[in-house]
Amino acid sequence: MSSRHVWMMFQKELLDIWRDTKTWIAALVIPFLVIPSIIYLMTQSISNVEQEARAYVPIVITGDTSQGLVAHLQKEPGVKLLTAADPIQAVKEGAARAVIMIPPKLDQALRQGALVNMEVWYDAANQKSVYARELIEKSVRTYEEGIVSKRLEAAGLTSAAMHPISLSVSNLASQERVSGSMLASIVPLMLMLALASGGIPVATDIVAGEKDRGTLETLITAPVSAQSILTAKLLTVMTMGLVSSLASGASLMWVLRMQPKEGEKLTISFLQPESAVLLLGTLVLLSAFFAAVELCLSTIARSPREAHIYMTPVAFLALIPSYLIMPLTPADIPFAYYLLPIFNGAALLKEIFYGQIEPWHVLIVLSTSLLYVVLTISLAAALFRREGLLVK
Amino acid sequence: MEPVTVKGISKCFGTITAVEPLTFSIRKGEVLGLIGENGAGKTTTMRMMATILKPSTGEIRINGYCVQKEAMAVRTQIGILFGGDVGMYNRLTARENIAFFGTLYGLAGMELNKRIDDLADMLEMGAFIDRRVGPFSRGMKQKVAIARTLVHDPQVILLDEPTTGLDVSAAVIFRQLITTMRQAGKTILFSSHNMGEIEKLCDRVAIMHKGKLLFHGTIPALRAKSSIHDLDDLFVHLVTGGKPIE
Repeated sequence: MSSRHVWMMFQKELLDIWRDTKTWIAALVIPFLVIPSIIYLMTQSISNVEQEARAYVPIVITGDTSQGLVAHLQKEPGVKLLTAADPIQAVKEGAARAVIMIPPKLDQALRQGALVNMEVWYDAANQKSVYARELIEKSVRTYEEGIVSKRLEAAGLTSAAMHPISLSVSNLASQERVSGSMLASIVPLMLMLALASGGIPVATDIVAGEKDRGTLETLITAPVSAQSILTAKLLTVMTMGLVSSLASGASLMWVLRMQPKEGEKLTISFLQPESAVLLLGTLVLLSAFFAAVELCLSTIARSPREAHIYMTPVAFLALIPSYLIMPLTPADIPFAYYLLPIFNGAALLKEIFYGQIEPWHVLIVLSTSLLYVVLTISLAAALFRREGLLVK
Repeated sequence: MEPVTVKGISKCFGTITAVEPLTFSIRKGEVLGLIGENGAGKTTTMRMMATILKPSTGEIRINGYCVQKEAMAVRTQIGILFGGDVGMYNRLTARENIAFFGTLYGLAGMELNKRIDDLADMLEMGAFIDRRVGPFSRGMKQKVAIARTLVHDPQVILLDEPTTGLDVSAAVIFRQLITTMRQAGKTILFSSHNMGEIEKLCDRVAIMHKGKLLFHGTIPALRAKSSIHDLDDLFVHLVTGGKPIE
């Protein structure tokens, strides 16, 4: 293998890709525009629904509307009392958010110390209705607390008689760790998906596409070894996978930082230089694995269309381990995951973002990943040397 | 020693025999025309000579190098132009396409640029040499492909239907180029369906049919074997008879 040949072919591939708008759209524009847009629109939509739900809460009161609770409910911000011929239907149609049934002579029954039953109807499929139910519950509880407080006072007791234990809760996790755990659940998924899918257009184009156009046949008659050609193509696919992955990661981090809730500002300060180096190393190994798999599939395929069909499941290969690991903390990840291809990378990414890197796991993951990369590249090289696969 | 010697090579793909054992040679400064219908085995033979396919039997030597055992050395000696659609890197300019292959053959800097400029002059590509090849016509692409084949000044040139897609004036330019290369001592294997072209350019012809070599010799020698004078008619007579001419 000649490093000079590899470098020349790699440069040619990069120049070719640089001029290919479609590849850049897939690798960069989608991560930089689509992901932020989707997240922005989702958060905006949720925020708008919440604002609307708070600003206007139309509820229907059935039964005795002359009671004190009705006046109490009316003091809640946004509450508007409606009348409806069929209150349940009004909730179903969205005209009212909830219905509360107040029994007759409620105040009198409460003064006498009786147990009073009240009913609330709402639509669990409607977020605004859910908010109205929560508002009614909260309002009824505060009304109830007022009654209990008066009863305790009449009996010569304080609220401590009802709540003798004061519980205070303290968070031991730093803001960095909170950020890390939040990012650890989503960032590895995005990185893996981009690593797998970012190289697919290029892998399709530079083997199956070249075979289809006839340029590969010309290339293999040049005094260049198959290993040099394969290495240059592997580096190209890896580069695009990494570029796409880093673009996804950067865009996601930017969006998350732009959309913080009060007191929950996300930060990557937990990512120490050693962790960053380990993160990059893991991404490089994973990209080499995905690139080799994609080159194998592209070599087997008889046309770019066939290559694209073969490569679609590669994205699922990246998603399955990421989804399985997403809800786990590093302590809960089964040991077998550190040995399996792709699972091992996803597990290590989780540890890196969680800030709980186990050196023993790093050793296992890097060595097994290296082994899988070598095996997959060997398979790609074997396929690349088969004459029937390179000639149309 | 002859620059190209092919001894008893055959090629099988599974149970299908694409080329039955065939033997021929090409002398220095000679143009050998390879004639045959589609599927005759011409391209398979050229692919074996270009190290792309391994012969099932026999041996090919190019300038003394064995194709099977010294593939890399053989590749430095040959230039090949494939028939059918012209494979190009469409997002690269014509110059970049030619230069890329030139660098793979060890050319660089001034030497490479001069060689590309000379080829551009010879093939009248000056007007589009620095344009991306994607929107080129088939004829323009064919010119670029010819320049790419010749960029490293190979001693042995394999041309598989090189004038397909070229307009009349471009085909004339190309035929002049072949004549110039023959005078420069290049060894050329040239396949074509155009019998007039074969007659004008080739010193000898090899006629293949369904993987078999039916004739190998000069055109006058071929005519002497039959009362038919027209080369097209003679070819049809030969392939429909299907028997080798002694």
